[in-house]
Amino acid sequence: MRRVAVQGIGVVGGFGCGVDALARALTEGHVPVSRVASIPSDGTVSLPALLADTAPLEKFFSKRAIRRIDHFSRLSLLGACLALTDAGLFDSGLERMGVIVASGYGAMQTTFDFLDTVIDDGDICASPTHFSGSVHNAAAAHIAMQLKATGPNLTVSQFEMSFASAMLTARLWLQEGRVDRVLLGAVDEYCGVLGYCRERFFGTGPDEIMKPFDFTRHSAIVGEGAAFFVLSAVEEDTCYGTIIDAGLGNLSGDTPALPEETIFFLGADGHGRCGIHYKTIVPDGASVAAYAPLYGSLPTGQAFDLAIAALSVRDGRIPASPGGAMVAGQWKVAANEKPDGRALCCLKTDSSGGFGYITIKEAA
Amino acid sequence: MSRSAPVAVTGAGCICAAGATLPGCVESMFGGSRQPLPPVRFSTGHSVKYPVFEVPEEFFPPELPEDERLSRTSRLAIAATMEALGDAGLDLVQLRSMRVGVCIGTTVGSAMNNEEFYREYRRGGRPDMSPIERFLRSNPAASVARHFGLTGPVQTVVNACASGTDAIGVAASWIRGGLCDIALAGGADELCRVTYNGFISLMISSNEPVRPFDLDRKGLNLGEGAAVMVLETDNVVEGRKRKKRSWVLGYGSSCDAYHLTAPKPDGAGLRQAIREAMDAGGCKPDEIAFVNAHGTGTPDNDRVEGRVIAEILPDIPFLSTKGFTGHTLGAAGAIEAAFTVACLEAGRVPASIGFETTDPEVSARPVTETTTVNGGVAISQSLAFGGNNAVIVLGKGER
Repeated sequence: MRRVAVQGIGVVGGFGCGVDALARALTEGHVPVSRVASIPSDGTVSLPALLADTAPLEKFFSKRAIRRIDHFSRLSLLGACLALTDAGLFDSGLERMGVIVASGYGAMQTTFDFLDTVIDDGDICASPTHFSGSVHNAAAAHIAMQLKATGPNLTVSQFEMSFASAMLTARLWLQEGRVDRVLLGAVDEYCGVLGYCRERFFGTGPDEIMKPFDFTRHSAIVGEGAAFFVLSAVEEDTCYGTIIDAGLGNLSGDTPALPEETIFFLGADGHGRCGIHYKTIVPDGASVAAYAPLYGSLPTGQAFDLAIAALSVRDGRIPASPGGAMVAGQWKVAANEKPDGRALCCLKTDSSGGFGYITIKEAA
Repeated sequence: MSRSAPVAVTGAGCICAAGATLPGCVESMFGGSRQPLPPVRFSTGHSVKYPVFEVPEEFFPPELPEDERLSRTSRLAIAATMEALGDAGLDLVQLRSMRVGVCIGTTVGSAMNNEEFYREYRRGGRPDMSPIERFLRSNPAASVARHFGLTGPVQTVVNACASGTDAIGVAASWIRGGLCDIALAGGADELCRVTYNGFISLMISSNEPVRPFDLDRKGLNLGEGAAVMVLETDNVVEGRKRKKRSWVLGYGSSCDAYHLTAPKPDGAGLRQAIREAMDAGGCKPDEIAFVNAHGTGTPDNDRVEGRVIAEILPDIPFLSTKGFTGHTLGAAGAIEAAFTVACLEAGRVPASIGFETTDPEVSARPVTETTTVNGGVAISQSLAFGGNNAVIVLGKGER
């Protein structure tokens, strides 16, 4: 399949807003962690969290234009604007651009806001505003409306595999010539119910440090944010590298055929049940890295790994992995080394053996 | 990779209020029967009982009993897939020896919205986690893949009411692009209180049986169901010596970029999607035998859609089948695509039930009786929240 160039990146998360903020976090190796109550009415049980601020969206649109847009869609819209700006395409003609948004859980808070109106005031008082905002494709629709992007528009939801799955379709759109560019993004938000679920499934967590390479214990810290990319079939105008492969499958079938001399950016985010499957795919002795401590644990975290991989291509250096040393010792942790033409494979596994990978490499 | 390469369809399955199987649905539509009723599976506080099209429990295959660990949406998707695989003559041994992808459209099927759980949570309680575990097990595409032991790519499309159409278009692209040998593509959605209350809150639900394109239409009736089609590469289908039931000839999609819940009044987005699908399929308007329209029965949708059909596909028979099924949201596009395949085979379309009086603002009349159609190509189209428009062009196969 044809290579796809990364022309621009837009990220917002617990580390801040934009690729510079992400690069800064990579250099510093840590980000400030907030605490949130798992049940809002009961502040006694709190969880660490990496939350995102969407205030910078007002640099792109007036307050009035975005006043009715919820947090989930604001995250998406901000990621999209940052990516287009980074690519030098904001306010450009976007008629031949497709939009694809991936989300593991969708606009959860707005869904529960809708239920609040039903529970508080009865079925007859259900909020039409919250209902229309709770639909998964609301974020992609807001992007299209604000940017006047009238091309193909798709939203996909596949839990941890959402971003890799969306990438499959983005590459095909470019290969088929349906569009000249794809604005591909991933987004997930935090909400109180999610915090409660995490507490029930995993406990409150012993500390505020994620240990992505330790698959024997749960150390996930919930995160939220958006990571967007401008993808193009034109390979020459990119500093971020080109996507050379992407795939999705389940380990109950075949394991993926990945190029030799690959550096693996593991989506390991402190979930032991998901993490154990990396050992099946990643060969012994391979170079690995993991950056979830900078963006948190969220279904679409793989998109942040791709952003970091693209920055590594741009800067010619694999940043040090935050969050501690290797426990198992079967791989070597890549730190401050040069890619040297090697492929960088962003790999994500889930608890049922599903895997998704996206491989990026310096442009030929 | 050519966008114009047709993709073979070798099987189709459908379950909805119109019938437990695709032939059953077709028989009831040509028989002119429908039975919208107030919801049975849940109660609401509305004094008006808005009718819906529920799937009776006995429509599910006996080997697929209710399972509290799996959502109703996923059960519907699996039921439709079982029929589609049987129709395609594929058994699990064959299936598991190939790269099989699953692409399913939905809305409710991907939403974490369990009301009972949330009520308890809001009260400060510690609700049981089984609804969340069910949600996490019930991603529709993943559920189908897991049920049949498939290990290829999976994608759940959540493009609101265009999801089913988009899923088929995406899966056709997977086949053309060599991502898999077979793709199971379609849509599934269940009725629930959230969507029932939501559509009423938007004032686009009708308290009468739905009347698509009629002057006196009052809105939609919700429904539930699923449809799945089996798409195959030429190599696989020729190797199996299986007759092709249909072809996905073209797919087009667009976004109005206009409003979250209303279609753009000038229909520019829909027009763009139809043209893209027809260009991709290499079709001209005079080759189109009929259009299976979105036709929800809401004033806005039918006005815009009717005008666009009248403008760019004049004199071509069109219908809405939502009078038989209700609006099945993320499943609608797939169910209507399956009906389109069946009607191409039958060489006729049923009456667009519910229509009586032409709306002068629409200036187009759907078919009002069973109508013979000529030609081997038809269009199935969907419009959705978010301004999404999705269109597929389907061709008649060899059956």
